Amino acid sequence: MLRIENLSVSYGPRHVLGNVSLEVNSGEVLALIGPNGAGKSTLVRAVSGVVAVQSGKVRTNGNDLLSLPPMQRARFLAVVPQVVSMPPAFTVWETVLLGRTPYLNFLGQVSVRDEEVARLALAKVDALDLAERRVGELSGGEQQRVLLARALAQATPILLLDEPTTNLDLHYQVSFMEIVRTLAHTDGLAVLIALHDLNLAARYANRVALLVAGKIKAVGTPRQVLTPELISAAYHLPVQVVSHPFEDVLLVLPDNH
Amino acid sequence: MRHLPYLWTLLFLTLAVIFSIAIGSVFIPPADLGRILVGWLTGAKFPEPLKTFAFIIASIRLPRIALVLLTGAALGGSGAAYQGLFRNPLADPYLIGVASGAGLGAVLTMSVKWPYSFWGLMAVPAAAFVGALLTVFLVYALARLGKTVPTTNLILAGVAFSSFATALTSFLMLRSTGELRRAISWLLGGASQAGWGPVLTVLPYLAIGLGILLLSGHALNLLQFGDDQAQQLGLNVTRTRTLILLAASLATAAAVSFSGIIGFIGLIVPHVMRLWFGADYRRLLLLSIIGGAGVLLLADVIARSVMAPQELPVGIVTALAGAPFFLWVLRRAKNQGYW
Amino acid sequence: MSRKLTFAILTFVLLLAACGQVPKGGGPARTSTPVATSTEIPTLTPPSDTSIILTDDLGRMVTLASPAQRIISLAPSNTEILFAIGAGTQVVGRDETSDYPEEAKHLPTVGGWSGFSSESIVALHPDLVLAADTNPAELIASLENLGLTVYRLPNPLTLEELYLNLGTVGALTGHETDAAALVESLKVRVAAVDAKVATITERPTVYYELDATDPTKPYVAGHAGPTNFVDPLITRAGGANIGAQLQSEWPQISLEQLVADNPQFILLGDAAYGETPEKVAARTGWNVLTAVQTGQVYPIDYHLVSIPGPRLVDGLETLAKLLHPDLFK
Repeated sequence: MLRIENLSVSYGPRHVLGNVSLEVNSGEVLALIGPNGAGKSTLVRAVSGVVAVQSGKVRTNGNDLLSLPPMQRARFLAVVPQVVSMPPAFTVWETVLLGRTPYLNFLGQVSVRDEEVARLALAKVDALDLAERRVGELSGGEQQRVLLARALAQATPILLLDEPTTNLDLHYQVSFMEIVRTLAHTDGLAVLIALHDLNLAARYANRVALLVAGKIKAVGTPRQVLTPELISAAYHLPVQVVSHPFEDVLLVLPDNH
Repeated sequence: MRHLPYLWTLLFLTLAVIFSIAIGSVFIPPADLGRILVGWLTGAKFPEPLKTFAFIIASIRLPRIALVLLTGAALGGSGAAYQGLFRNPLADPYLIGVASGAGLGAVLTMSVKWPYSFWGLMAVPAAAFVGALLTVFLVYALARLGKTVPTTNLILAGVAFSSFATALTSFLMLRSTGELRRAISWLLGGASQAGWGPVLTVLPYLAIGLGILLLSGHALNLLQFGDDQAQQLGLNVTRTRTLILLAASLATAAAVSFSGIIGFIGLIVPHVMRLWFGADYRRLLLLSIIGGAGVLLLADVIARSVMAPQELPVGIVTALAGAPFFLWVLRRAKNQGYW
Repeated sequence: MSRKLTFAILTFVLLLAACGQVPKGGGPARTSTPVATSTEIPTLTPPSDTSIILTDDLGRMVTLASPAQRIISLAPSNTEILFAIGAGTQVVGRDETSDYPEEAKHLPTVGGWSGFSSESIVALHPDLVLAADTNPAELIASLENLGLTVYRLPNPLTLEELYLNLGTVGALTGHETDAAALVESLKVRVAAVDAKVATITERPTVYYELDATDPTKPYVAGHAGPTNFVDPLITRAGGANIGAQLQSEWPQISLEQLVADNPQFILLGDAAYGETPEKVAARTGWNVLTAVQTGQVYPIDYHLVSIPGPRLVDGLETLAKLLHPDLFK
């Protein structure tokens, strides 16, 4: 499980995250929502140690993650970033194998076990047939799945995803989120996923956290957080929240009255 | 099958070495070449003209070949490292100003009349070496922002310093007309000192620099995905990038100190290797080292032969051959989009 | 496909390079000159009664067991001196810029303005390599490391220093008497010029041009240096070089400064490159110069004033005749 305690991050004089505390349990998907600029990406980057933190801690089972060297930290949490300019010449296989870095020596020599893990990761995201293809040839959805496979190859108990569905077609958005949900529920990962699509959050998350201007406004089940009052206030847009006609799922729609 | 790229490249290198031994401003008939090689193995004494030929090969060509191989290896390897570090296919070992710093150091010392002694003769190469390294430190310090050194800053600082150093160098060259030709010749690149001395002097720095680079393949692969992702995958990004930068710069500084500024090797060879054999830096570094050595050796053969007994500066040969080759690579790669 | 193509191109290029060094009818290694001495790579032998020991320009002590018989000259001045003192038959190789005297042109070359080939030098089995100030110390060191005997002549800044060089080369080649005789004859000629110049009442100002590709900032002769003996010769010939006070060997002078100096004579050292008095007169702004208006613009053979050899005296006489025609009929 992942425990974020009182995390504060500033870029110079600008306070981006103020005293953020969150808990993500193993086996659950926690969706991080909020308007652009709220600090969702910053939170993911800060938790993974890429951005300097002014105060606060990130813990898992007693380990203070931010004080660990990168190699150790990478065994606890893996990040799936947005697909932005990947080096096109690498093959999918080479890319996924890089996920094994925390367990390799500095030369990067790969063992049979490492290859097994990588193969399994590719299978889980249904991308085994893409193994020999170059990353530059793939579609956005395929690339995003490859990045997910790489994170899975890291074999970490915690998975962070930074708005992975942003540039994906509807088909790929759905299939991606299906995989993520299965990973949490079946493999017991603690998954923190920053999302901008509220309906995806409603459908696939166990819990939702609403981040506005660097502060957590609400945490709870989708029903608890996805209320017209909270969402309208956060996004500066009147919204209505309705129940899906045949499924037990909420839909967030703009309110035109 | 996996080792095929290495075999091809080694074959190319071997051919380049053979050509280098066989070709020079003094014509040695292939039959005599064979007799000499056999004679060396059997320990026979040579009659003339074989004796002179053997002397030429052993005392003039072989040391020269060794120096050129080391220089080409350094340029190829550090070129690949720079391209990986800066994630930029146009990067070459002189990106952050090593060439201009070395040139300034060399030209500065050329205007002084040094005593004829070991250290006097070492003055220019030593100054070039120091100039190159000082430049890297200076540019690095200028580009630093707190704990990180953003690549853009490095490049900008490098460009700024290069302009300054080049202007100063040009001014110095204008002032001392006597040394002008010597300065131009050095800047255009080419082996200026013969014998095993330069080889032995340069060897330790190259061994350290290239040694570190050869161990950095995996790290460079990770860096291709950006600093963030590399760190998230477990790499200590700042420390690794600094180490690779220093190692590559050390190798380049040693290479240019005796051989002047030879361009295009560090730019073209890694490119071609990437096009043919893939972007995995664990492989790319070694292939660029071997390939760089071979290509420079070929360029040196041409430089020694086309105007014999005079020599073209090697830098001219690499530029003349490199530019069209580069354009060809560019056209091919545009179709495939592989950087 | 691309790999094969590249391989083919590379092989082709290599074949071209290989053709570049196929022997061109009697290449350096196959000189037909009968060699009396051994063709072993020469080594330094211990000093004997006939040995010659001299210290060269770099402070190196050079020892020859006997006068050199297979000399390679690395500078045109050396070649001129060697032939002038009668040692021409002892020269077996030269640099490309050595084109005087005519006989020198038949000698094989070992390099030039773009470097020297140690191989070619070694293949000629020299017992002495005669270098000059224009050959860098690195080259001397390289040749020394190959076991060759190298002597670097200093660059003379006065005619007296030139005489010393002639004597040195005479000693190295066993032509001491010839060299001394040459020095005497040169001294006589120079003394004749000196005597007449001593009688002049004023020194005409002289502008010696090296290059005027940019006529607003031409290159003029400054102080003496390894490729430029103009200043001392002009002075000795009874003139005043306007470039003397400028800092370097070949400084640039602005047209304004030139007009202000207004030299009485304009000497075209770049005549060999096509400059003529007519072209000078046609240059913008140059017609205000007295020398142009009075027609005192003369072409000069730059070889006579820039190669530190016996022809410098020819240069002196030429200059003296130009500057003081009434004294030198």
